[in-house]
Amino acid sequence: MDLFWQQLINGLSLGALYALIAVGYTVVYGIVQLINFAHGEIFMTGAFGAFATWVVMGSPSSMSWQVAVFGMLPVMILGGIIVSVTMALLMERLAYRPLRDAPRLAPLISAIGISVFLQEFVRLFFGDIPGMPDSKRAIPFPNIEGISGRSVSFGNVNVQISALFTLGALVVCTAFLWFYVNRTKTGRAMVATSQDPDTARLMGINVDRVIMAAFAVGAALAAIAGVAQGMRVGNIDFRMGFLAGLKAFTAAVLGGIGNINGAVVGGLVLGVVESMATTFIPGQFGSPAWKDVWAFVLLILVLVFRPQGLLGAKVVDRA
Amino acid sequence: MSRFTSALTIPAEKLEKFQTAAHIGGIVAAALGIVSVLLPWSYAHEALDDVTYSAAPSPLQYNYIGLAVIAVVLFAAPLVLRKPGKARDWVAWNTGARFAGYGLLATGFVGVAAIGIESGGLINVDPGGWLALVAGVVGAVSGLVLFRSPEPSMGRIKTNTIVQIIAIAGGLAAVLFAAAFALGLSGAGAFLFYLTFAAFLALTLVRTGVFGWFAKCAADNKKILVLAAFFVAFVFPFTQNGSDANMSIATQVLIFSATALGLNIVVGLVGLLDLGYIAFLGAGAFTSAVLSGSLYSHIHWHPPFIVTVLISGCVSSFLGLIIGTPTLRVSGDYLAIVTLAFGEIFRITMNNLDGSDGPNITNGSNGINNVPELSFLGFNFGDAHQIFGIQVGRFANYFWLMLLVLAVIMVVFVNLNRSRIGRGWVAIREDELAAEAMGVNTFGLKILAFAGGAFLAGLAGAVKAHYDVSVTPDQYVFLESAFLLAAVVLGGMGTVMGVLIGATILKLLPEKLRFFSDYRLMLFGLLLVFMMRFRPEGIIADERRQLEFHAEDEELAEDVQEELIAYHDHFNPDAVTTEDLR
Repeated sequence: MDLFWQQLINGLSLGALYALIAVGYTVVYGIVQLINFAHGEIFMTGAFGAFATWVVMGSPSSMSWQVAVFGMLPVMILGGIIVSVTMALLMERLAYRPLRDAPRLAPLISAIGISVFLQEFVRLFFGDIPGMPDSKRAIPFPNIEGISGRSVSFGNVNVQISALFTLGALVVCTAFLWFYVNRTKTGRAMVATSQDPDTARLMGINVDRVIMAAFAVGAALAAIAGVAQGMRVGNIDFRMGFLAGLKAFTAAVLGGIGNINGAVVGGLVLGVVESMATTFIPGQFGSPAWKDVWAFVLLILVLVFRPQGLLGAKVVDRA
Repeated sequence: MSRFTSALTIPAEKLEKFQTAAHIGGIVAAALGIVSVLLPWSYAHEALDDVTYSAAPSPLQYNYIGLAVIAVVLFAAPLVLRKPGKARDWVAWNTGARFAGYGLLATGFVGVAAIGIESGGLINVDPGGWLALVAGVVGAVSGLVLFRSPEPSMGRIKTNTIVQIIAIAGGLAAVLFAAAFALGLSGAGAFLFYLTFAAFLALTLVRTGVFGWFAKCAADNKKILVLAAFFVAFVFPFTQNGSDANMSIATQVLIFSATALGLNIVVGLVGLLDLGYIAFLGAGAFTSAVLSGSLYSHIHWHPPFIVTVLISGCVSSFLGLIIGTPTLRVSGDYLAIVTLAFGEIFRITMNNLDGSDGPNITNGSNGINNVPELSFLGFNFGDAHQIFGIQVGRFANYFWLMLLVLAVIMVVFVNLNRSRIGRGWVAIREDELAAEAMGVNTFGLKILAFAGGAFLAGLAGAVKAHYDVSVTPDQYVFLESAFLLAAVVLGGMGTVMGVLIGATILKLLPEKLRFFSDYRLMLFGLLLVFMMRFRPEGIIADERRQLEFHAEDEELAEDVQEELIAYHDHFNPDAVTTEDLR
């Protein structure tokens, strides 16, 4: 039974990571019906932005955990958010906005182009920024005293502090999102636009700004996920966005794309399924090598049996 | 784009008095260009293809002279043909001259830059090189000043069939010669120079309207054109004198093109975005490798290749069915991501079927090596053969086989496109709801396209396994799918010619321009974005497709309508003419 609890908490923390990224897919999709394929790369630039912020602060290494957690970490997260939000807004302005009335294939292909471009751009040029290490190989993520490599035990269940951080970040972000969508003017405008963009425009809503806000919110959450991933794994890498983005999209579909709560639920379910599969599927197919396969098989199964997702999508087939 | 060009436009009345001067300027520029070739361009032998001699142009410089001569003709003709008449209206002299001028500038610039880079500094550029650059600047400025010509009418000239056929033969021979010449160039600078030259020559010919005439010749003699094109491709290995390096590239281009054409059915005709298409190629390759009798394969059944090819195709299309059936029911966006996920599942699975994480079928990440050479009725593809006294090597054999596969795929593609099925596909692409309302079986047709495209990729994969000798999972990563998609998008979705060109560009450039290999992927990403932004219909546009991307273009809409009516009348001569219906 300990194994079950252990895998449950592992899965939940992995799922929280997916959920943070998935929100970005779902918010953008809900408003412009665009799968922002490059969102995984936004997550990656967020992690690199946080790392760069740490370097700019002078690569501080030894400090008490209070300073690390309440001083350095928030600054790093803020730096990551600034970088990822800038990237997302640039992307929206330069690549997606001109294609808003184009056939649906066009922005999707454009998104693939951006994704490849961003990966390669970071790989080739991150190291050229003064003070930054060569990014062609994985870069070790700074050690956050009190979080990195630390864990607490409940009986036989061992919980990484970074996992708790990811879960906590998800809780805080979900609460923030709830407040933002339901209680602020921009958030209400977002809901209105996703329901009917034309009427929203007639009601005086600046649809362009709402779309930008959607990209920005998604990017901010992705940057937090990027920092969480850096602390969990201990290093960051220009390729980290591809698989994470794919999984997060799976999570978004799982929960019902376009539905913010769905993205959170979908992410958690996907994470738990993934970690349970490697433990409880007997035989050779239960080995960790198959874990990604099970995640994608889940995606296909959901599309067969419940294409609207677990919580129901706002739009399933608006082709 | 138009925002930028309109800023550059100078009012017509100001340009009026400079017209004659511009014509003369262009002639002078071209003459300067020809003079420059008689002088050495560079001190260094290693730059371009050795342009250090005076009065002895290198092969590349002969090409440059050709462009200059064309520029002279185009710039001079309007001065001679003062009166309006047929000869004056047939060809768009001014517009052509403008592009010839740009071409002189571009080639001169690339030439000087290549000399500067390849020989370590602009100090090595001789007066000839600088003169060529000056000629280019004068030519481009002269061209910019010229008024645009009216639409050329060469496409409407009635020509004798024999002349047309001779023109087709001549055109294809020129293409063959150019391809062989380009592949024979060794340095990156020389290749880029030639590429610039060829691109601007083609652009000039298109703008003058000469291509319009060629297009008419081609349209009037379609079968001859296709046969001749295949004949040219067939004799290509003979021009290589048994050189394996170029034949290897050419065969890779063919494999890539064949796969891209399969993808073109799915993306170009039906408008379904498949991001895991490489997995179908991989499925074909793995099936064929496992059944090939390689020592590394653990299945000891070795059917003849004909059977293996069909099995490979069927395995691929079966996978296509598995992945397509659930996803084709929901919106197209899901398909893109699910196929992407499927591509990953395929790669991971092939990696895991290694005996420790699953049954041992594919040897995991080591893949299946030593796939034996193909052998048909005693003809071993691995051996070199003497044909007409010319040595043709292993790669040429595979080249011919791939040519055959490509021909099959092209026949399937073109015939499907012109059939009831193809029209159904286009209808789905343009508006799925409307198509369904008109009684098109959208789901069935989508599945057919998806599984059919997968089948074709399986065929190509079966040959690829033998050609590559080894099949490993890491040959079939997502980036390869993205490259295939880029070939389709770059060339022109839904066209055969365009995809062939796109595939050739995407395979050939990285081979010839090794120096930018590190930036290849990044530029490729940018290329996708820019193509979608500025020319989403691709280099060679399918007219109906173009209309989808430029919905407000009335002129284009009329062209397309005319073509459709002509097409309809051609196939239904007894039907009520569409004129009556209007």
